Amino acid sequence: MSVCRNFIPDLSAHEFVRTRKGKPLCQRSIAGRGSIGVSYGTGVVPNGESLRNPLEKLSFNSLFDASAEALVLADSDGHILMSNPAAQELFGYSKEELLKLQVEMLIPHRLREHHRRYRESYAQRSEKRPMGRGRDLVALHRDGSELQVDIGLSPIREGDQLYTLISFFDATQNRQAQRALQESEERLRLAEHAAGLGVFDRDLTTNALHWDERSLEILGLEHDAQITYEKFQAITFPDDLPIRLAALERALDPDSVGEYKAEFRIIRQNDGSVRWIASTGKVIFEEGRAVRIVGVMQDVTEQKQIDSRLREQRAAMELLMKRQVASQTASAIAHELNQPLAALSAYSEVALHELANIECPEKLSRALNRCVEQAHRAGKTLHELMEFLQRGDLVVEAIDLNETVVEAVNITHSDGYDSFHPKFELEPELPPVLANHLQVQKVVANLIRNGVEAMRIAGVPIAAISVRVQTLKERNMALVTVEDSGPGLDADLAKRIFDPFFTTKSHGIGMGLAISRALIEANGGELWADPAEGVGAVFHFTLPFAS
Amino acid sequence: MMILHPTVYIVDDDPAIRDSLSLMIEQEDLSVMTFECAEDFLAACNDSSFGCAIIDIRMPGMDGMQLQEELSRRSILLPVIFLTGHGDIPMSVRAIKSGAQDFLTKPVTREKLLASVRSALQSGTQMLEKIERIQHTRSLLADLTEREREVMMLAVLGHPNKEIARRLGISHRTVEIHKAKIMHKTGAVNLLDLARLVQEGGLGPA
Repeated sequence: MSVCRNFIPDLSAHEFVRTRKGKPLCQRSIAGRGSIGVSYGTGVVPNGESLRNPLEKLSFNSLFDASAEALVLADSDGHILMSNPAAQELFGYSKEELLKLQVEMLIPHRLREHHRRYRESYAQRSEKRPMGRGRDLVALHRDGSELQVDIGLSPIREGDQLYTLISFFDATQNRQAQRALQESEERLRLAEHAAGLGVFDRDLTTNALHWDERSLEILGLEHDAQITYEKFQAITFPDDLPIRLAALERALDPDSVGEYKAEFRIIRQNDGSVRWIASTGKVIFEEGRAVRIVGVMQDVTEQKQIDSRLREQRAAMELLMKRQVASQTASAIAHELNQPLAALSAYSEVALHELANIECPEKLSRALNRCVEQAHRAGKTLHELMEFLQRGDLVVEAIDLNETVVEAVNITHSDGYDSFHPKFELEPELPPVLANHLQVQKVVANLIRNGVEAMRIAGVPIAAISVRVQTLKERNMALVTVEDSGPGLDADLAKRIFDPFFTTKSHGIGMGLAISRALIEANGGELWADPAEGVGAVFHFTLPFAS
Repeated sequence: MMILHPTVYIVDDDPAIRDSLSLMIEQEDLSVMTFECAEDFLAACNDSSFGCAIIDIRMPGMDGMQLQEELSRRSILLPVIFLTGHGDIPMSVRAIKSGAQDFLTKPVTREKLLASVRSALQSGTQMLEKIERIQHTRSLLADLTEREREVMMLAVLGHPNKEIARRLGISHRTVEIHKAKIMHKTGAVNLLDLARLVQEGGLGPA
């Protein structure tokens, strides 16, 4: 095809298309900006307008050459007809060398065939547009290196000939920036997602509210839900609304830095559950007026639950520690008191033994005998106290409650408390209970002794104490009931009887029932008394079954 | 058998306990030695110590349970009565399992303590008698010649003289002579008595 090498097309109707934010390769100044009328080299005035401006005298060639963008003019067969210095610099060819080339020579070999077909189709439906829209384009330098470029194509039709003005922009930096931006955006999205952060944005002048997907999810709203600020007010848990509004008010104060920070509950709309939301935001002020608030929200319910569990655990630990300290101290004191008691008892018995060999006043031996008795009584109390203090190291096992109760009664009987008739009502098929055998035995013995003593004080002659073992069906626990024939307990007594150091007896320290209750509770059961005056005192305790 | 006077050893860090309990035991005409710690007691006793030991479980330094272990490690065969301020069950079970004679709670009555001491001394005596018997038996058996020992072992297994002669490759008559010497040396009155001595002397068959 023959090409008129000095043909210069009319460019006045064409603008170069700059793709994206392409940065010009060379920062050479251009003679003018804006709409530039360009005359032919022949001096013909375009569109028949007269010359009014000296700029209009600028030739196409001088503009073409002065352009900071790399420009190449090619015909429909891809022959390069013109190139400007910027293009020559970009590709590393001289002006003459470029004139001998086809445009395909300016792209890497692997893309040439594709480009040729593209150029042919472009000829059919030419329009002003960026090339390879949205794709990363590559050009080839003379030295074989590849250049990241954006390319603009401007078709110029002159008669039946189609020329194309091609502009190149170095896109290396641009693309790096773009990639970095994309990555950064991606990271932000990931971070938001990972943190479970929902983003909100409220225009305070129009009250228009924007919540992102995650926010809607947090609040339990549909993705296409109509969002209004009133709706948000309604979602907020009523008790917490004042908290949130107060935080907002503080943030909206023009004298403040506009920091919004609030923790409040909401009623999640899809399941009605109450969730804790932590929200932070920033108020934007314009001319001293709050115009917008932007921020994030996060569902912190689980965190709150963990926090509160941790707090509870810590409190329980502290209590345990305090108790431990108290019980260790008391245990040490008990042990220290027990030593002199043991010596006291032994010395008294030594004296008694010596007295047995000589004539001695009856009162002396009686006094010494009482010394021994009292020392043992005090020792017993100390042992009970130490046992009570050590109930923490409780070993439980599956035990037969019937058997344990009978044993306890037998022990009590042989222990000097024999002025009663035991009446058993057992449940032979009772499943085993999970408890410490010794402690349960101790509690039963304690209750029986209490009964015997109460009857003795009341002057009731040898009477019955009934011991009942049964299943407490409604609570799925074993129930033991000890009932005496004494004066019984009035309501007031039934209440106070478990208080430490409370006693109706002339002797004893009033720890028996308090310790019994503590022991049963340590075994996972409960101990209580029936207030029923005149029919005998009734004590019950429960224990969990082993299975 | 030589007559030994048993001693009751009291190991307790509380001087009042040591004093009151020794008075109590001395009233029974028993000799008492007291120690304020396990280490002092270990330094003073040896495998010829005879009697029983009353040991406080809770003591500074080596405690009662450790002391008991140490005694048995040193083959000091003294029955041990533990004393404790607080008789918790797991500890008493452990003590009895490891061979303690008794486990008493302070304050302890004279009756209980003396009963326990008496029974400890009795088992101590029995232990000693048994040891002496074994030692005596061993010395008797040690007097036998190698051949006599061989004959004895086959005899107590119930083999007739003919079989013993065949196995040892000696004459029937020689077996009879060996047997007579064995009975004479050991003082065994019959074959059953001889078997008991063999077992007691630790020669088996057990």
